[in-house]
Amino acid sequence: MSNTVVKIKDLVKRYGDLIALDHFSLEIEQGEIFGLLGPNGSGKTTTINCLLSLLSFDKGDIEIFGKKMTPVSYDIKKEIGIIMQNVAVFEELTVYENIDYFCGLYITDKAKRRACVEEAIKFVGLEDFRRFYPKKLSGGLLRRLNIACGIAHKPKLIILDEPTVAVDPQSRNRILEGIQQLNRDGATVIYTSHYMEEVEQICTRIAIMDKGRKVAEGTKDELKRMIKNTETITIEILELPEKVYGEISSLPHVYDTSHSDGKLSVYCSGGKHNLTRVLDVLQKNELGFGRVYTELPTLNDVFLEITGTALRDKED
Amino acid sequence: MFLHILKYELKNGLRNKDLIIWLILFPIVLGTFFKIAFGSVYEKTEKFSTIPVAVVETAENQAFRQVLESIESADEPFLSASFVNKEKAEKMLDDGDVEGIIFSGDKLSLTVKEKGIQETMLSAFVKQYSVREKIATDALTAAPEKAQEVIAALTGETVSSCREIPLTQGNPDIYIQYFYNLIAMVALFGCMTGMHITITNQADLSALGARNNCSPAHKSLSVLAGFAGSCVLQTICMVICVTFLAFVLRVDFGDRLPLVYPAAILGGILGVAFGFFVGSLARVGEKAKTAILMTTTMLLCFFSGLMIGNMKAFVAEKVPWLNEINPAALTSDCFYCLNLYEDYDRFISKLITMAVITVIFIFLGFITSRRKKYASI
Repeated sequence: MSNTVVKIKDLVKRYGDLIALDHFSLEIEQGEIFGLLGPNGSGKTTTINCLLSLLSFDKGDIEIFGKKMTPVSYDIKKEIGIIMQNVAVFEELTVYENIDYFCGLYITDKAKRRACVEEAIKFVGLEDFRRFYPKKLSGGLLRRLNIACGIAHKPKLIILDEPTVAVDPQSRNRILEGIQQLNRDGATVIYTSHYMEEVEQICTRIAIMDKGRKVAEGTKDELKRMIKNTETITIEILELPEKVYGEISSLPHVYDTSHSDGKLSVYCSGGKHNLTRVLDVLQKNELGFGRVYTELPTLNDVFLEITGTALRDKED
Repeated sequence: MFLHILKYELKNGLRNKDLIIWLILFPIVLGTFFKIAFGSVYEKTEKFSTIPVAVVETAENQAFRQVLESIESADEPFLSASFVNKEKAEKMLDDGDVEGIIFSGDKLSLTVKEKGIQETMLSAFVKQYSVREKIATDALTAAPEKAQEVIAALTGETVSSCREIPLTQGNPDIYIQYFYNLIAMVALFGCMTGMHITITNQADLSALGARNNCSPAHKSLSVLAGFAGSCVLQTICMVICVTFLAFVLRVDFGDRLPLVYPAAILGGILGVAFGFFVGSLARVGEKAKTAILMTTTMLLCFFSGLMIGNMKAFVAEKVPWLNEINPAALTSDCFYCLNLYEDYDRFISKLITMAVITVIFIFLGFITSRRKKYASI
């Protein structure tokens, strides 16, 4: 029996001349926390909206739990929990009432619903705010309410579309821990974000999107193995003679170097003891230097190498 | 599921400050303002009432006393005279208990404190009496044998060739039209709750709409529950509005007040249906839709005569069809027909027209909002 929860095949979505999704395909297995990573406008939310049958698309097929997804697939919708990018709650209903309202769209049994609502409130840590109206909640608490409204009915598939936008670090950590807990409890999670650190922290598998296309897919280690860079060494050094710079550039496993604003960056591909070798060159030439640090490749490096642009630059 | 959605629609609506302000407080304030502005105008300028007057007899004038007694014996006497001394009369005038003091002796004279319609009428009465008394005195001096004929000629009633045939037993107060229009405006404000139905059910209009569309609740059921909730909220507002006008401000709706309620409620449902229809039409944001609806509502109320009293007559002359489809004009006309005409034909005709337009709006609203997939969100 197949464990595929979501299957998107050859999805094309156009807005006039703009191609929002360009033959986008994806398969998500049961129990995964699947991350959709990409800059704003890369097609993450469009993918989610097509997946939920909110948006019409020009070409492609979407299956959820092995069944074709349509706007009237109420049996499928019953098993999905959605947390939108924008907070979707009623302003004039309290925290408890909001969760109860949305939970009631999925669960008709009152006793069962009450238990689910209480559990959701506890899960997001809003026990002290159950009688508060949304306008009295801070941005972080409001996001937590938004999540509670989406997960109270204990869905098998949870879709979170950038749930941590404009959230304080404390609430962000709580949200991320919560998502991992939901996954441990058996839910499959689709998580879209343009924050690569979050995706790297919680996702078991990641698809990187750019301009409506999937540019890479795999676990974070698999993605990092796709690129040349394995280590970036940075050394604060004001004066660097041309000869020494050339000597460092020609070290084994070093494939690129740069020196600007008093910082020497050395990009390495594979190999061991790269840092020691670079420092040996500096000491041999009796050059003083400041702080030294080394970084392992990030998803931003993956994105940079694949698309030619840094993910962070696109955000700017 | 239907009752679950309905319950929370009502909770959400009843706590909505905008709804409370525009559908409950605003008509109360505007109605009170109308009452203050127009309430006494009709009483003072249009409606006849007996004028209280003090009579101070400086010398015996039996004829004048008899004339006053004769006037006071009528069903709706022109004036009511109090025979008092000068000091008492002046005090009564100062206290506002009487409109003037007639000094009766060899000659009549009138003292008033203010200039107004009632004072003018008293003045005309005193002048007319003085002229007739002079004519009678002169005639009796010149030809005493014709005394009976002269008195008969002076006291005989004027024969009129016109007879007043009232159309109705209803309230002819022209200013009541403003209160009818006020109720019509509140009814039309129901469009705001009507628009709310589409906002919360269309995925391309709000995050709430998107979330609702992702749920297993059938869209038609969700829209229907929303519509029912809006109608209940609007009905509550209409009942409060009519009750406040009728029992607190004591606006005279005649003896058919019980029929004003269903007419107002139907007007409210028409307003909700109108908002539901407009809300489902264009894909613009909630604020833009609110602005469009408020502008349209105020325009329709303007053409129904809420701001300018004779606007409806002007519209009836220049674009008569507009009054037949303008929800505000239809609703206010409904009350007008109820209050002014003896039979119910016109009232029922207006109700049927309102019901038909309501059904058309609901039908079109459902047709345009039934879409479940959107080209863009």
